[in-house]
Amino acid sequence: MKVLPTTCPSCSSQLSVKSLVCERCQTEIQGQYELPLVARLSTDDQSFILEFIKASGSLKEMANLLGLSYPTVRNRLDEIIERVKIAEESGKDIKEKKL
Amino acid sequence: MIEATTNIKTADSSRLSQWLFNPFRFIAGFKALLLGLAIILASSFIGSFSNTHFDGVLDVHTGRSAPMWFFLAEGLIDWVCMVIPLFLFGLIVSRSAFRMIDVLGTQALARWPYLIAALAMLPDANRRVLAYLMSKLIQTAPAAAISSIDVLVFGFVMFVIILMLIWMVALMYRAYAVSCNIKGAGAVVTFIVSLIGAEVLSKIAILSLVRIFF
Repeated sequence: MKVLPTTCPSCSSQLSVKSLVCERCQTEIQGQYELPLVARLSTDDQSFILEFIKASGSLKEMANLLGLSYPTVRNRLDEIIERVKIAEESGKDIKEKKL
Repeated sequence: MIEATTNIKTADSSRLSQWLFNPFRFIAGFKALLLGLAIILASSFIGSFSNTHFDGVLDVHTGRSAPMWFFLAEGLIDWVCMVIPLFLFGLIVSRSAFRMIDVLGTQALARWPYLIAALAMLPDANRRVLAYLMSKLIQTAPAAAISSIDVLVFGFVMFVIILMLIWMVALMYRAYAVSCNIKGAGAVVTFIVSLIGAEVLSKIAILSLVRIFF
Protein backbone atom coordinates (compact mmCIF):
# COMPACT_ATOMS: atom_id res chain seq x y z
CA MET A 1 0.00 0.00 0.00
CA LYS A 2 1.28 3.45 -0.90
CA VAL A 3 1.96 5.76 2.04
CA LEU A 4 0.54 9.27 1.79
CA PRO A 5 3.48 11.70 2.00
CA THR A 6 2.79 14.51 4.47
CA THR A 7 6.08 16.41 4.49
CA CYS A 8 8.13 17.80 1.61
CA PRO A 9 11.08 15.51 0.75
CA SER A 10 13.09 18.57 -0.24
CA CYS A 11 12.57 21.05 2.64
CA SER A 12 10.53 18.99 5.17
CA SER A 13 7.68 21.53 5.20
CA GLN A 14 4.07 20.48 5.56
CA LEU A 15 2.55 19.37 2.23
CA SER A 16 -0.95 20.40 1.15
CA VAL A 17 -3.40 18.87 -1.33
CA LYS A 18 -3.45 20.49 -4.76
CA SER A 19 -5.84 18.28 -6.67
CA LEU A 20 -8.55 15.73 -6.00
CA VAL A 21 -9.92 13.33 -8.57
CA CYS A 22 -13.13 11.30 -8.87
CA GLU A 23 -12.08 7.77 -9.83
CA ARG A 24 -15.47 7.11 -11.46
CA CYS A 25 -15.85 10.05 -13.84
CA GLN A 26 -12.30 11.45 -13.70
CA THR A 27 -13.51 14.90 -12.60
CA GLU A 28 -10.55 16.72 -11.22
CA ILE A 29 -10.71 19.52 -8.66
CA GLN A 30 -7.78 21.86 -8.37
CA GLY A 31 -7.11 24.05 -5.36
CA GLN A 32 -5.06 24.19 -2.22
CA TYR A 33 -6.35 22.21 0.73
CA GLU A 34 -4.63 21.54 4.01
CA LEU A 35 -4.20 17.90 4.98
CA PRO A 36 -6.52 16.94 7.87
CA LEU A 37 -4.70 16.82 11.19
CA VAL A 38 -5.03 13.04 11.56
CA ALA A 39 -3.64 12.50 8.05
CA ARG A 40 -0.51 14.37 9.09
CA LEU A 41 0.27 11.71 11.72
CA SER A 42 2.27 8.57 10.92
CA THR A 43 0.41 5.49 9.68
CA ASP A 44 1.20 3.75 13.00
CA ASP A 45 -0.38 6.60 14.95
CA GLN A 46 -3.40 6.63 12.64
CA SER A 47 -4.01 2.90 13.09
CA PHE A 48 -3.61 3.29 16.86
CA ILE A 49 -6.27 6.03 16.85
CA LEU A 50 -8.61 3.85 14.77
CA GLU A 51 -8.14 0.88 17.12
CA PHE A 52 -8.69 3.19 20.08
CA ILE A 53 -12.00 4.36 18.63
CA LYS A 54 -13.03 0.76 17.88
CA ALA A 55 -12.25 -0.11 21.50
CA SER A 56 -14.68 2.67 22.58
CA GLY A 57 -11.77 4.67 23.94
CA SER A 58 -10.97 2.02 26.54
CA LEU A 59 -7.25 1.83 27.26
CA LYS A 60 -7.78 -1.43 29.13
CA GLU A 61 -9.38 -3.01 26.07
CA MET A 62 -6.63 -1.61 23.84
CA ALA A 63 -4.03 -3.16 26.15
CA ASN A 64 -5.79 -6.54 25.86
CA LEU A 65 -6.09 -6.24 22.07
CA LEU A 66 -2.42 -5.32 21.57
CA GLY A 67 -1.08 -7.68 24.26
CA LEU A 68 0.60 -4.75 26.01
CA SER A 69 0.34 -3.38 29.53
CA TYR A 70 -2.01 -0.53 30.44
CA PRO A 71 0.75 2.07 31.09
CA THR A 72 2.49 1.18 27.79
CA VAL A 73 -0.73 1.88 25.87
CA ARG A 74 -1.43 5.04 27.88
CA ASN A 75 2.13 6.28 27.22
CA ARG A 76 1.63 5.66 23.50
CA LEU A 77 -1.59 7.66 23.59
CA ASP A 78 0.17 10.49 25.46
CA GLU A 79 2.88 10.55 22.77
CA ILE A 80 0.23 10.82 20.05
CA ILE A 81 -1.51 13.62 21.97
CA GLU A 82 1.82 15.48 22.07
CA ARG A 83 2.27 14.99 18.30
CA VAL A 84 -1.30 16.19 17.66
CA LYS A 85 -0.61 19.33 19.71
CA ILE A 86 2.60 19.96 17.73
CA ALA A 87 0.75 19.42 14.44
CA GLU A 88 -1.97 21.86 15.58
CA GLU A 89 0.64 24.46 16.49
CA SER A 90 2.49 24.09 13.17
CA GLY A 91 -0.87 24.34 11.34
CA LYS A 92 -1.60 27.63 13.17
CA ASP A 93 1.87 28.97 12.29
CA ILE A 94 1.37 28.18 8.59
CA LYS A 95 -2.02 29.97 8.59
CA GLU A 96 -0.54 33.02 10.34
CA LYS A 97 2.31 33.17 7.79
CA LYS A 98 -0.20 33.06 4.93
CA LEU A 99 -2.17 35.94 6.44
CA MET B 1 12.18 -17.72 3.11
CA ILE B 2 15.55 -17.27 4.80
CA GLU B 3 14.78 -13.60 5.30
CA ALA B 4 11.40 -14.44 6.83
CA THR B 5 13.00 -16.94 9.24
CA THR B 6 15.62 -14.36 10.22
CA ASN B 7 12.90 -11.79 10.83
CA ILE B 8 10.97 -14.20 13.06
CA LYS B 9 14.16 -15.00 15.00
CA THR B 10 14.95 -11.29 15.40
CA ALA B 11 11.38 -10.60 16.55
CA ASP B 12 11.56 -13.53 19.02
CA SER B 13 14.90 -12.43 20.46
CA SER B 14 13.66 -8.84 20.69
CA ARG B 15 10.55 -10.03 22.54
CA LEU B 16 12.72 -12.15 24.84
CA SER B 17 14.98 -9.20 25.63
CA GLN B 18 11.86 -7.10 26.27
CA TRP B 19 10.61 -9.72 28.75
CA LEU B 20 14.02 -9.82 30.45
CA PHE B 21 14.75 -6.10 30.64
CA ASN B 22 11.36 -4.42 30.24
CA PRO B 23 8.57 -6.89 31.13
CA PHE B 24 6.43 -3.89 32.10
CA ARG B 25 5.73 -3.33 28.43
CA PHE B 26 3.52 -6.41 28.69
CA ILE B 27 2.58 -6.66 32.35
CA ALA B 28 1.65 -4.00 34.91
CA GLY B 29 -1.15 -3.09 37.30
CA PHE B 30 -2.89 -5.70 39.43
CA LYS B 31 -1.35 -8.73 37.66
CA ALA B 32 2.16 -7.38 38.23
CA LEU B 33 1.27 -6.57 41.84
CA LEU B 34 0.08 -10.11 42.61
CA LEU B 35 3.04 -11.72 40.85
CA GLY B 36 5.51 -9.25 42.38
CA LEU B 37 4.18 -9.73 45.91
CA ALA B 38 4.39 -13.51 45.50
CA ILE B 39 8.01 -13.13 44.33
CA ILE B 40 8.94 -10.78 47.24
CA LEU B 41 7.44 -13.17 49.80
CA ALA B 42 8.99 -16.23 48.13
CA SER B 43 12.43 -14.54 48.09
CA SER B 44 12.13 -13.70 51.79
CA PHE B 45 10.89 -17.22 52.60
CA ILE B 46 13.75 -18.89 50.69
CA GLY B 47 16.22 -16.39 52.18
CA SER B 48 15.14 -17.37 55.70
CA PHE B 49 16.61 -20.89 55.21
CA SER B 50 20.12 -19.43 54.86
CA ASN B 51 19.48 -16.44 57.19
CA THR B 52 19.75 -14.16 54.16
CA HIS B 53 18.35 -10.75 55.02
CA PHE B 54 17.22 -8.26 52.38
CA ASP B 55 17.87 -5.52 54.92
CA GLY B 56 17.63 -2.55 52.58
CA VAL B 57 16.30 -1.84 49.09
CA LEU B 58 19.56 -3.07 47.52
CA ASP B 59 21.00 -5.16 50.36
CA VAL B 60 21.60 -8.92 50.55
CA HIS B 61 23.35 -9.99 53.78
CA THR B 62 23.77 -13.20 55.70
CA GLY B 63 22.95 -12.49 59.32
CA ARG B 64 21.36 -13.78 62.48
CA SER B 65 18.40 -16.12 62.54
CA ALA B 66 15.05 -14.37 62.98
CA PRO B 67 11.38 -15.31 62.99
CA MET B 68 9.82 -15.84 59.55
CA TRP B 69 7.66 -12.71 59.84
CA PHE B 70 10.81 -10.58 60.10
CA PHE B 71 12.20 -11.89 56.79
CA LEU B 72 8.83 -11.25 55.10
CA ALA B 73 8.61 -7.77 56.63
CA GLU B 74 12.08 -6.88 55.30
CA GLY B 75 11.01 -7.73 51.74
CA LEU B 76 7.81 -5.70 52.02
CA ILE B 77 9.58 -2.71 53.63
CA ASP B 78 12.16 -2.65 50.77
CA TRP B 79 9.37 -2.59 48.20
CA VAL B 80 7.25 0.10 49.92
CA CYS B 81 10.31 2.31 50.58
CA MET B 82 11.12 2.29 46.86
CA VAL B 83 7.53 2.99 45.80
CA ILE B 84 7.05 6.07 48.02
CA PRO B 85 9.75 8.39 46.55
CA LEU B 86 9.14 7.17 42.99
CA PHE B 87 5.42 7.88 43.28
CA LEU B 88 6.07 11.35 44.72
CA PHE B 89 8.62 12.19 42.00
CA GLY B 90 6.18 10.83 39.42
CA LEU B 91 3.53 13.27 40.66
CA ILE B 92 5.99 16.16 40.30
CA VAL B 93 7.79 15.28 37.07
CA SER B 94 5.33 13.27 34.95
CA ARG B 95 2.88 14.97 32.62
CA SER B 96 0.78 11.81 32.40
CA ALA B 97 -2.05 10.77 34.65
CA PHE B 98 -0.46 7.56 35.92
CA ARG B 99 -1.92 4.99 38.31
CA MET B 100 -0.60 4.11 41.77
CA ILE B 101 -1.35 0.41 41.11
CA ASP B 102 1.12 0.45 38.17
CA VAL B 103 3.91 1.91 40.33
CA LEU B 104 3.17 -0.63 43.10
CA GLY B 105 2.89 -3.57 40.70
CA THR B 106 5.88 -2.86 38.47
CA GLN B 107 8.19 -2.08 41.41
CA ALA B 108 7.16 -5.34 43.09
CA LEU B 109 7.82 -7.31 39.92
CA ALA B 110 11.16 -5.52 39.39
CA ARG B 111 12.47 -7.27 42.51
CA TRP B 112 12.31 -10.71 40.89
CA PRO B 113 16.11 -11.07 40.33
CA TYR B 114 16.41 -11.22 44.13
CA LEU B 115 14.51 -14.50 44.04
CA ILE B 116 17.53 -15.89 42.18
CA ALA B 117 19.80 -14.17 44.72
CA ALA B 118 17.90 -15.89 47.57
CA LEU B 119 18.34 -19.26 45.83
CA ALA B 120 22.04 -18.55 45.20
CA MET B 121 22.57 -17.91 48.92
CA LEU B 122 21.29 -21.37 49.90
CA PRO B 123 24.55 -23.41 49.69
CA ASP B 124 26.26 -23.86 53.07
CA ALA B 125 29.60 -22.93 51.48
CA ASN B 126 28.59 -19.25 51.64
CA ARG B 127 28.10 -19.34 55.39
CA ARG B 128 31.36 -21.22 55.94
CA VAL B 129 33.38 -18.72 53.88
CA LEU B 130 31.62 -15.72 55.47
CA ALA B 131 32.27 -17.11 58.98
CA TYR B 132 35.89 -17.68 58.02
CA LEU B 133 36.28 -14.15 56.62
CA MET B 134 34.59 -12.68 59.70
CA SER B 135 36.92 -14.57 62.04
CA LYS B 136 39.90 -13.24 60.06
CA LEU B 137 38.48 -9.73 60.24
CA ILE B 138 38.00 -9.72 64.00
CA GLN B 139 41.16 -11.83 64.45
CA THR B 140 39.70 -14.83 66.27
CA ALA B 141 40.13 -18.53 65.60
CA PRO B 142 38.26 -19.60 62.42
CA ALA B 143 34.86 -21.14 63.21
CA ALA B 144 35.32 -23.89 60.61
CA ALA B 145 37.78 -24.94 57.96
CA ILE B 146 36.95 -24.04 54.37
CA SER B 147 37.82 -25.95 51.21
CA SER B 148 38.79 -24.58 47.82
CA ILE B 149 35.35 -25.66 46.53
CA ASP B 150 33.75 -23.49 49.23
CA VAL B 151 35.77 -20.52 47.97
CA LEU B 152 34.81 -21.25 44.36
CA VAL B 153 31.10 -21.54 45.24
CA PHE B 154 31.31 -18.34 47.29
CA GLY B 155 32.99 -16.47 44.42
CA PHE B 156 30.35 -17.66 41.97
CA VAL B 157 27.51 -16.71 44.33
CA MET B 158 28.96 -13.21 44.83
CA PHE B 159 29.17 -12.83 41.04
CA VAL B 160 25.54 -13.93 40.66
CA ILE B 161 24.38 -11.54 43.40
CA ILE B 162 26.15 -8.55 41.83
CA LEU B 163 24.61 -9.47 38.48
CA MET B 164 21.14 -9.75 40.06
CA LEU B 165 21.62 -6.40 41.81
CA ILE B 166 22.46 -4.66 38.50
CA TRP B 167 19.56 -6.40 36.79
CA MET B 168 17.12 -5.44 39.56
CA VAL B 169 18.16 -1.76 39.47
CA ALA B 170 17.76 -1.76 35.66
CA LEU B 171 14.28 -3.28 36.04
CA MET B 172 13.34 -0.77 38.76
CA TYR B 173 14.31 2.07 36.44
CA ARG B 174 12.32 0.64 33.53
CA ALA B 175 9.35 0.08 35.88
CA TYR B 176 9.51 3.74 36.94
CA ALA B 177 9.87 5.02 33.35
CA VAL B 178 6.93 2.94 32.07
CA SER B 179 4.53 3.32 35.01
CA CYS B 180 5.03 7.10 35.39
CA ASN B 181 5.81 7.86 31.71
CA ILE B 182 9.05 9.68 32.45
CA LYS B 183 12.04 9.77 30.08
CA GLY B 184 15.47 11.33 29.69
CA ALA B 185 17.68 13.07 32.23
CA GLY B 186 14.74 13.90 34.52
CA ALA B 187 13.92 10.20 34.83
CA VAL B 188 17.54 9.22 35.56
CA VAL B 189 18.13 11.95 38.17
CA THR B 190 14.83 11.43 40.02
CA PHE B 191 15.38 7.66 39.96
CA ILE B 192 18.89 7.93 41.47
CA VAL B 193 17.66 10.33 44.18
CA SER B 194 14.73 7.98 44.91
CA LEU B 195 17.03 4.96 45.10
CA ILE B 196 19.36 6.65 47.59
CA GLY B 197 16.39 7.96 49.61
CA ALA B 198 14.71 4.53 49.57
CA GLU B 199 17.91 2.81 50.71
CA VAL B 200 18.20 5.17 53.71
CA LEU B 201 14.47 4.94 54.46
CA SER B 202 14.43 1.12 54.33
CA LYS B 203 17.52 0.87 56.57
CA ILE B 204 15.89 3.15 59.15
CA ALA B 205 12.59 1.22 58.99
CA ILE B 206 14.27 -2.20 59.37
CA LEU B 207 16.54 -1.01 62.19
CA SER B 208 13.49 0.44 63.98
CA LEU B 209 11.79 -2.94 63.62
CA VAL B 210 14.85 -4.66 65.13
CA ARG B 211 14.90 -2.21 68.06
CA ILE B 212 11.20 -2.66 68.78
CA PHE B 213 11.00 -6.46 68.59
CA PHE B 214 14.50 -7.79 69.44
